[in-house]
Amino acid sequence: MITLTALRAFDVPIQTPCITPENFTGKSLAEIKVLPVTEGVRNLTLGDLFKIEETNDGTSNITINGDCAKVKRVGQGMKTGEITVNGNIGMHTGEKMAGGKIIVNGNAGGWTGSEMKKGTIEIHGDAGDYTASPYRGNDLGMKGGLITVDGNVGTDVGCYNQGGVIKIKGNAGRFLGFHMSDGAIYVEKDVDVRAGALMTGGKIVVGGKMEILPSFTIDNVKPKVKVDSETNVAGPFYVFLGDLSEKGTGKIFANKAANPAFKFYEKYL
Amino acid sequence: MTEILIKNGFVVDPLNKINCEKMDIAIKNGKVVAKVNEKNAQVIDAAGLTVMAGGVDIHSHVAGAEVNMGRMIRPEDHYKDPVRKTALTRCGTGYSIPSTFVTGYRYSEMGYTSVFNGSVAALKAKHAHEELNDIPLMDKATYILTGDWWFVLENLAKGDVDECARLVAWLMRATKGYAIKIVNPGGLESWGFGRNVHSIDDPVPNFGITPREIMRGLIKVNKKLNMPHTIHLHTNNLGVPGNYQTTLDTMKAFEDLSTDGKPVAHITHIQFASFKGENWGKFKSGAEEIAKYMNAHNHMTLDMGQVTFSDTTTMTADGPFEFSLYELGGHNKWVNSDVETESSGGIIPFHYKKNSPVNALQWSIGLEIALLIKDPWKIFMTTDHPNGGPFYDYPKVLAWLYSKKAREATLKKCHKSAKKKSLLPSIDRELSLYEIAIMTRAGTAKALGLPDKGHLGVGADADVAIFNINPETLDISQKFRTARKAFANAAYTIKDGTIVVKDGQVVNSQIPGRTFWVDAETKDPCKIDDEMKRKFRDYWTIEFENYPVTDHYVKVSDRLERKASV
Amino acid sequence: MSKIINNVVCPICGCLCDDLEVTVKNNEIVKMKNGCAVCEAKMVHGYKSEERILKPMIRKNGKLEPVSMDEAVKKAAQILTDAKYPLLFGWSSTVNEAQRIGVELAEELGSALDNCCSVCHGPSVMATQEVGIPAATLGQIRHRADLIVYWACNPWTSHPRHVERYTAFTDGRFEGSEWKSYMNKMKASASRKKMDIASKRIEREEAQINPQVEVNGPPPQTLQKPGRKMIVVDVRKTMSAEAADYFMQIEPNRDYDVIEALRCIVQDQELDVEKVGGVPVEYLREVADAMMKCEFGVIYFGLGMTQSLGRFRNIEVAIALARDLNRKTKFIISPMRGHFNVTGANQVFAWQTGYPYAIDFSQGYPQFNPGENTAVDLLKREDNDATLVISADPGAHFPSVVMKNMMKHPLITINPDMNAISRLGDVVFPTQWCGIEYVGTAYRMDSVPITLKKVVEAPPGVLTDEELLSKILAEVREIKKKRGLPVGLTEQKIVHTEPIEPPRVCPAPVTKPKPKKVVKKKKEAA
Repeated sequence: MITLTALRAFDVPIQTPCITPENFTGKSLAEIKVLPVTEGVRNLTLGDLFKIEETNDGTSNITINGDCAKVKRVGQGMKTGEITVNGNIGMHTGEKMAGGKIIVNGNAGGWTGSEMKKGTIEIHGDAGDYTASPYRGNDLGMKGGLITVDGNVGTDVGCYNQGGVIKIKGNAGRFLGFHMSDGAIYVEKDVDVRAGALMTGGKIVVGGKMEILPSFTIDNVKPKVKVDSETNVAGPFYVFLGDLSEKGTGKIFANKAANPAFKFYEKYL
Repeated sequence: MTEILIKNGFVVDPLNKINCEKMDIAIKNGKVVAKVNEKNAQVIDAAGLTVMAGGVDIHSHVAGAEVNMGRMIRPEDHYKDPVRKTALTRCGTGYSIPSTFVTGYRYSEMGYTSVFNGSVAALKAKHAHEELNDIPLMDKATYILTGDWWFVLENLAKGDVDECARLVAWLMRATKGYAIKIVNPGGLESWGFGRNVHSIDDPVPNFGITPREIMRGLIKVNKKLNMPHTIHLHTNNLGVPGNYQTTLDTMKAFEDLSTDGKPVAHITHIQFASFKGENWGKFKSGAEEIAKYMNAHNHMTLDMGQVTFSDTTTMTADGPFEFSLYELGGHNKWVNSDVETESSGGIIPFHYKKNSPVNALQWSIGLEIALLIKDPWKIFMTTDHPNGGPFYDYPKVLAWLYSKKAREATLKKCHKSAKKKSLLPSIDRELSLYEIAIMTRAGTAKALGLPDKGHLGVGADADVAIFNINPETLDISQKFRTARKAFANAAYTIKDGTIVVKDGQVVNSQIPGRTFWVDAETKDPCKIDDEMKRKFRDYWTIEFENYPVTDHYVKVSDRLERKASV
Repeated sequence: MSKIINNVVCPICGCLCDDLEVTVKNNEIVKMKNGCAVCEAKMVHGYKSEERILKPMIRKNGKLEPVSMDEAVKKAAQILTDAKYPLLFGWSSTVNEAQRIGVELAEELGSALDNCCSVCHGPSVMATQEVGIPAATLGQIRHRADLIVYWACNPWTSHPRHVERYTAFTDGRFEGSEWKSYMNKMKASASRKKMDIASKRIEREEAQINPQVEVNGPPPQTLQKPGRKMIVVDVRKTMSAEAADYFMQIEPNRDYDVIEALRCIVQDQELDVEKVGGVPVEYLREVADAMMKCEFGVIYFGLGMTQSLGRFRNIEVAIALARDLNRKTKFIISPMRGHFNVTGANQVFAWQTGYPYAIDFSQGYPQFNPGENTAVDLLKREDNDATLVISADPGAHFPSVVMKNMMKHPLITINPDMNAISRLGDVVFPTQWCGIEYVGTAYRMDSVPITLKKVVEAPPGVLTDEELLSKILAEVREIKKKRGLPVGLTEQKIVHTEPIEPPRVCPAPVTKPKPKKVVKKKKEAA
């Protein structure tokens, strides 16, 4: 196991796509120390920014200590192994991830798990905007895998989701699950406006307060809903179908008790 | 200026009827000369290498409003192909629509030295020239969309070809343009109200003219102006199943206009205009019919518009075509860009896939036509960059042309229905290096009317491409991958007498390249009077005086003077 | 001696009107014809401001002191090369020729590069990256449009000649002007309006606390008739709304919902709700009908849409609406770009790097991501440790927290006059007014390139943006060389110090001199 400890507080963005378990595999400590990174416009090595230690436990797992809120692209494209971050982590963590696990004991920046295919990301703090959403201009969202967030998430989370599962214990920002076509998003607390906008498939389950776009239509009321094989949530829930403007068949499950304003929809049932 | 001597290479120079002969090429002051003093010259030992003139691309969308809009809307396309800054080169991004500097570098790395920009609306010509200035290492020029320019429509409807010619001469000069480009004649004007024309005899709404009359009129104009290139035509009904008939009708409509046996029109990206079958389900190849016609007639030239199976971006001034493509579904972005009084346009990102029956057959159609037309002086190699695929797929296209083995290897992976319909298994023809040189430089230079390009005779521009192909030892049809690699990474590219690429790497990026434009001198000027200016103010939203492209916009200007007969 | 210069281009808003007639006397503009009030304010008065910077200045002991150009350039280059991660911001009020060098400078520094569009129509660009855009040049609208929708914008004040030159009040080939009927309408309602304005003034205070949507009643029947129609959609009744055939007032931040409702109606979907954004669905139905029935429709949208809740998603669905409408008729949608060359900045950045704005060069190649590399976001996270601002005034427009972060680090400014940001600068450069004192290219809101003119001489010693940036770039390369860092080659620059020659009039035979007669005629005519 490799442990990276930040040598100082970082003041400008740091890009470290080299921090992945497979990239460290088979490299000596000296080789890892000279892996290229950038601090702002400066080309540096990993050893310039982090104290690097090795614990011989036979794995290439990585632990990062210190406040790394400015450190971007950790675990980009990783396929196996585990990265544990004790502190905050910056943007694009686990981007294009295809396997393995990332645990963040702190907050994560934007685009965490962007275009992710497989694997697990556990965030024990908050997650930023565009978590699990694709890069600009792309409609290839999260294909699979699981992201759990203990805190709140920002806006535009889970856009173009094609099959991933996202579970959020706190609140979620606007445009949750924008244009998603499959997969599931579960938010235990409140969701800001325009959840499920332009969705064509998949499901969004909301335990707290929310708003429904005019382009959704009421379908029925269900007592409970299954998010994935592990999670069943008790309701009752209003079930909305949409987004009609995209001729979509996505489902939004809105908690009946938390959303008394939706009572008028019942006349259509 | 340095002198260069290229020694002992196998020279392939079809315009001078030289086929793989071992000889030296001497260069001085940016021109090919009879000889140089070996002591003063930089000597390139080209023993065992093939020496050709620099490549001349007759149709490629590399600059202009449409291209740049394509760049803007596709960050995900650039994201996968970043290009690093070096001490010699600027940084940028690549893939289907590379940034300008990268465009220049990548063309040069393949031994290309000239590129002709597919289409530009006159109103936005300044933009195209600004971009062309930022494409280093290449000579360039741009075609001007003329077919739906209101002055052309009005004068041809009146039957006043001479006045139309005078106006077109003014237009070419005002836009620093090189040739008359016609895209879906009449269709672009119709698209102004969301309509289209569906045959060459469909009337154009509000103008009392048909596509046939526009095309024939502009061929006459082209002749009267003595333009270096023929009209450059994107046919009606492009991309519509069954359109090979429209294409044949179009070609037939020009038969009587060629009086001296020379071509009168160039149909570009013929692949997209050779579809047979009533609908996409019954989609078939019209290559045989087109090739048969071309083999019997001499009044046309074509370029392929080959599909290369990549995630690319389609862009054309044919707005209605792009919308119908969008309506086929499966696309997340559609751009339409109409230009007042002149043109329309559209962009759609498109991924050509081998497992799509239509895409796979399109791939086959392009190659079928190129191989079935016997005379390589009649059809040139392009991908209609980026419509069929990016230009750096050219080596792949060449491999399919010179190696049946390469074709079979790709056809094997294609959709089974395309495999069944493809004519390729029945075609054994494999192009020689000589024929390839015709289709990529000699033939295009000739068709474009560039006497100093496309060959290596004394007096030619010193644009040279040297490839790591030994015709004596390498059987390109068998070892197609080796040759493909050689075409992708020129051993040397020489631009204007300076070595700019060595071993597929840019070694000098400081040669800006020239911009060609045509100045056709008419006997009487077209009348620029108050009436004309008033009309101009009515037709466009900018003033007459602010319309032309001034010298400010052409970094290195190369004006081609022509004497017109009107 | 006064002289009149014709066809001058107005360097203010995205309309780039190019029919100004400017009278110059003693190297001063004394009169301007054809332009709007905004244009007159800058072209006749503003550019001669007493606040004009004439000498470069460096902040010493807290005070700006005049220094030589060389000293200022050296200092600026030093700041930029010492910084770990500089930001170059602005670009929308300068010409392409300068922007080109700006990209090269950013590339050489490895810095972040962003332009003002990130705080205006950047969201529109992002939306086109998601769904594309059916657009057209302004003339296409003038000739053909019979339904013109201004959504969340107020051209009457922001683009004063937009309606008159390009849309509802201009005569096109296929569509006539609505001007006459508008005049009649205005006369009839003049007295009523006075009452309205008076009563509104009384109500205003209350209205601001709790914005109430005043539903104007159903759309008039005329919307469904042939001929040119203008609809304005906004959160408040603007001057443009007064001129419209129908004004649809919606609740603030509800543009997205209203557009989505329109999209559903266009696609024959039933809505469960009765009102969207404060507007009854039946009214929306009539508006949607008008949109589907027209021959050629257009939506122009403004900052009310790009900078309100939902940002680029608002534009995304608006574009999707226009796109859907193309299945029924011809429909176009376009942003009302603000600064005169903000479009040009997007264009130049895009052709040189592949990306329109929000670019980061720190990896040696361009990377794009609004939200990550946009100026406001970068500064908010305090990622930059030096800033260069050119031809923009973030001092007046950025959020205060962002400005506070910017001020923690060195700031270089390049602006013609002492605007808010120049006052805050550590190195302050003077520059010429482009389009008044030097020539260059700008792109109209519909991406039509137009050459700006030079009408008066700049004050002595004041350089153009292009010359200034070239000097800084050369100095940056010098410093990098001294530090043993690799530098890029200096491309041969063609600096246009002389005015662009006027376009040659057809035909211009090469061998003979220009036919003088024709040239003369042209001047008289214009």
